Parts: sequence; structure tokens; C-alpha cells
Amino acid sequence: MLMDNLQSLRYFYPELTLIVAMLVVVIVDISFNRLRNVLNPLLTIAALLIAAYFTAYVNHGQEANLFLGMLALDSFAQFFKLFLLLAALLVVLGSLHSEELLQVHQGEFFALLLAVTLGMLLMANSINLAILYLSLELVSLTSYIMVGYLKGDRLSNEASLKYILFGAISTGSMLYGFSLIYGMTGSLNLYTIRDAFLSQGVQGFDQFTILLALVLTLAGFGFKTAAVPFHFWCPDVYAGAPTPVTAFLSVAPKAAGFAILVRFLFSGMTQTSGSEWGLVNGINWPLVLIGISVLTMTLGNIAALTQNNLKRMLAYSSIAHAGYILMGSVVLTGEGLKSMLIYMFVYLFMNLGAFLVVTIIYNSDRSFEIGDYHGMFKRAPFLTFAMGVFMLSLTGIPPFAGFLGKLYVFLAVIEKGLFWFAVVGTLNAAVAAFYYMRVIKAMVLEEGNGKTAPLHVSFLNQALLVALLIPNLILVVFWNPIERWTASSVKLFSGL
Amino acid sequence: MSMMLQFANVIVFLGVGVLFLSFSLLLSSLLRPSKYSEEKLIPYECGENPVGSPWIQFNIRFYVFALIFIIFDVEVAFLLPWAVVFKKLGLFAFVEGLIFIAILAVGLAYVWAKGDLQWVRPEERYGR
Repeated sequence: MLMDNLQSLRYFYPELTLIVAMLVVVIVDISFNRLRNVLNPLLTIAALLIAAYFTAYVNHGQEANLFLGMLALDSFAQFFKLFLLLAALLVVLGSLHSEELLQVHQGEFFALLLAVTLGMLLMANSINLAILYLSLELVSLTSYIMVGYLKGDRLSNEASLKYILFGAISTGSMLYGFSLIYGMTGSLNLYTIRDAFLSQGVQGFDQFTILLALVLTLAGFGFKTAAVPFHFWCPDVYAGAPTPVTAFLSVAPKAAGFAILVRFLFSGMTQTSGSEWGLVNGINWPLVLIGISVLTMTLGNIAALTQNNLKRMLAYSSIAHAGYILMGSVVLTGEGLKSMLIYMFVYLFMNLGAFLVVTIIYNSDRSFEIGDYHGMFKRAPFLTFAMGVFMLSLTGIPPFAGFLGKLYVFLAVIEKGLFWFAVVGTLNAAVAAFYYMRVIKAMVLEEGNGKTAPLHVSFLNQALLVALLIPNLILVVFWNPIERWTASSVKLFSGL
Repeated sequence: MSMMLQFANVIVFLGVGVLFLSFSLLLSSLLRPSKYSEEKLIPYECGENPVGSPWIQFNIRFYVFALIFIIFDVEVAFLLPWAVVFKKLGLFAFVEGLIFIAILAVGLAYVWAKGDLQWVRPEERYGR
């Protein structure tokens, strides 16, 4: 069902909520000098919850093409919107007691976070290349500012500049790819593009132009998901940005990037059969994606081995995880997609958890170095336990949620007969185990370096830790709802 | 291939442009007398003698003003077509335009409250 602009507004409430909240936060920030530090976080949290409510209940189960075919309202977008709102909510809560951010003015932080969330929601929705590009730029531009939020910090400034330069090049090349696709098919709508490719047959187009357009487009998506070879910005940006922002960047824009990648490949570039790559003859697209995926996880894991800065280590680990998630996209079936979503869902909890622990330890010790984590077990047993769970979960050790994600991804690949691919993934997980265990070893086994005072963890952070621990501990047992939810989210594509 | 051929027009246009320009420059350099003096070589600044080098660091405040200006530049670009068909669109478009202006007004209020509209910035009341 195609809807015009006015009709569409009824289904646009989640995004509208964020827009209004963003403006209100700015107004509150300049009008209430004393109350604003209390009001702004509350407003942001309320806006995210209301947006989630609209997404989950009001828009539930409806399918429509909004704004004359610009945005899609479907279960796939719904999954990502809820995911992104949840990620934003957890990051807001995690940022409240971050000493890094308390040093600077916080009002804009919430406005920017709402803006970036809005951009990501639009990314998950968009089925038109123009709106896709616009929303991606909204996310990028806002995250450049968030990365450079610590104005006095040189590392933060450098990170922001690097991010801008890489981002400009990648989105520029992506835009060029879009323009080539538009030139070939005469449309920006993903479905119309597919129909144009199908009706004329691939042979009707210049093979080289198609290849160029798709490679350029993939560069843009690769930048957002930090996949090799578009990952160079990742470690420096993650290390320089304020830790809550790093946590946010490592989860949310990555997921939004995967959302547009999936939409682009599945809606725009695949034939109706859905199980075959119907587009470019002579180029083995699954093989290309397998290549990117293997390179991404291997490079991420190996580079993470030698890192002593926890933030850099987690940056490389997040690159590696992007590789695992990409594994699911190689298999063009509902199973593959489902495994991607499940992986992202568990990745959200374990990665945000790990970054929360880093934030808490920085609050009192002012260090991201693994050497300063020594003897943490004696100072903060619960924190060490939590970090242990997050690390083991990131490794993919069975009783924790990370195992579930890896299990589904590997299963999807094996079902397709790509045994060696699953073996590569498993070997990578073994490599990753080394540096995750190193953190646990430093915290539990190593002797402390003099500091014995118990580490202060605020009540809010403790509650948040527990909230993040629970999914990590119970998802393996209660995987059924997640499985059903993700399966219904990808019905759109698996039923093609 | 036909699309590629259309680009041939552009190349022809480019070639003609280059030829025309170099021809006229060459012709004028052949025809004009060439007498240089010191006055002729200094940069033209509306008749004033330039003082110092132009390669100085500009005040960073120019940048903020330029940014604020862009907001209203874009506003005009959007409002002009809106105003042209204003009567045809009716009340709905009017409300839409008002919302648009209100959003920009929030931006202006923000800049104002932050003291960015003053050339000499007062003590920062908001934020650190």
C-alpha cells in the first residue's frame, strides 16, 4: 500500500517523537540553567520509551510504503527500530555517570544522541536510495560531533577528524555508486531498481558499470559496519571518543549499516526466487562477501591480540564481530538473515556491558590500560564477575548469550554446505578467546599495583550492569522468544 | 552506448571553451602594449594600498557566523517556492511552513542563548 505524505504521518510517530524531543531538549538546555541536567536525560529517556512504544504496539504488524515509497513500514524495520532504540536507551543510562562526559556540557549530548537515533531509524526504514543516503549522512555527521565531544581532548579531536575524512570518502563513493545505479535503471526506489534489472535482464547492462556501482555502494555500507577494508577509522575513533559514545558507535550504527546492507542486497539486488544471487553474472557475490567476512574477522581478532588499551582492543573485537555478522548475509536465506539478527541482538548486551565496565573503571582510575586492571577482583568483585561474563559471552563460550549468536550463524552457514567457512569462524573464535581471557586474567589473577581501596560503582551503574548481565546469562535458556521474533522479522525476505 | 555518446557533447563543449579562451588570451597578448609598473603589480583592493600580507589567521568567529548564515540561507531557499504557491496550497502548507520556521527559530534561540551572536563573547553562562 502506497501512502502519501499526510496519511504516512500516522505511521511516523516514533520518528516524530524523536524530532520533537530533540527540539525540546535544546530549548530546555538554554532555558533552565539549574534543572536542565536533570530534565534533559529524563526527556531523552522518555522520548526513547515513547518511540519504542509506538514502534512496538501502535505500528505493530502493519505493512505499508510511506511517503510515496520512501520508507517501508514492515517487521524487518520494526526489529531494527526496537533494537536501535534499546541501544540508545542503554547508552543514555550508561552515560549519566560517566566522568568523561560530566566534565563537559551535557545538554547537546542528548540532542545529538536523539538525532543520531532518528537517522538510524530512517536508515532501517528506507527503501529509496535518496532517503537512504540522507539518513546515513544524518547518522554520520552527528556521530562526528559526538566523537569529538571532548573539546579539550586532543585524542577526541583527532578521532573526529579521522572519522570525518574516512566518512566523507566512503559516503562519497557510495553516492557515486548510487548515481550509476540510477543512471542504469532510472529509479531510486529499490523495488523499481530490481524490476528494471529483471525486466531488461542483466545482459542488457554494461557488466563493468554494474560491478563498479555495486563495489562503490558496498564501500559505503562497509564503512558504516566497519568491515575490512573499510575499517581503518575504527580503532582510532573508538579510542578517542568518550567511552559511552564508543559503546554506542560499536553497536547501533553498525546494526543500522547491516540493516541497509540487507535491504539493499535482498530487496534491490536479488531475484524473486530469493535463494539465488540473480544479479551480476560472472561475479560470485557470495564469494566476495565470504572474502570480506573472513578478512574482517581474522584481521579484527589478530590485531586485537596485541592491544593494551581496552578501548582499542574492544574496537578491534567489534570489527571481528562485524565479520561474524556478515557470515549470515552470505547465506541468502531466511536462516542466514535470522542468524544475523540474533547475533546482533546478543552482541548488543555483551558489548555494551563490556564498555560499561570500562566506563566505570575509568571513572575512578582514569585509565583504559589493561595494566591498570590488575587486581581488580579484590577491589570490585561484582564488577570483575560482570566483566568476566561479558568477555566469555563475547568469546562465545556456551552458557552465555554470545554462544547463541555464534551457534545460529555457524548453523546457517553449515546448512548451506559451507563447512570450511564455519571452521574459519570457529578458529577465529579460538583466537579471540586469547585476548578476552587476557582481560579476565589481568583482573582476577594478577597482583594489584598498590591500589586496594574498593572501587566505587554508583547505584545506577550497578543496576545497569545487572540489567545487561541478565540477558547474557539467560538468553541461552530462553532463546525461543528471540528465535520467534527474529523469524517473524525476516519473513519479508525469506518469503520472497 | 547512446548515453556515452551524449557525453560527447560535453567534451566538444569543453574543447570549444578551451580553444576560445586560449585564442582570445593569445590575441590580446599579441595586441596589447606591455608596460609594467609597480602600481600595476599590487593586488587591487578597491583603490586602497594593501597593508601587510593577506595570509593571516582569520578570527574563528567568522566561521560560526558563516554557519549561522547558512541556516537562514537554506531557509530562504525553501521558503521561496513555498511563498510562490502559497495561495494554492492553503492552510495546510501554511501550518507546515510555520513549523519549519519554528524549528529554525529554536536554532536561532540556541545560538543566541549561547552568546554566539555577539562578536566579543561574554563570559560563558551556559556550559563549560
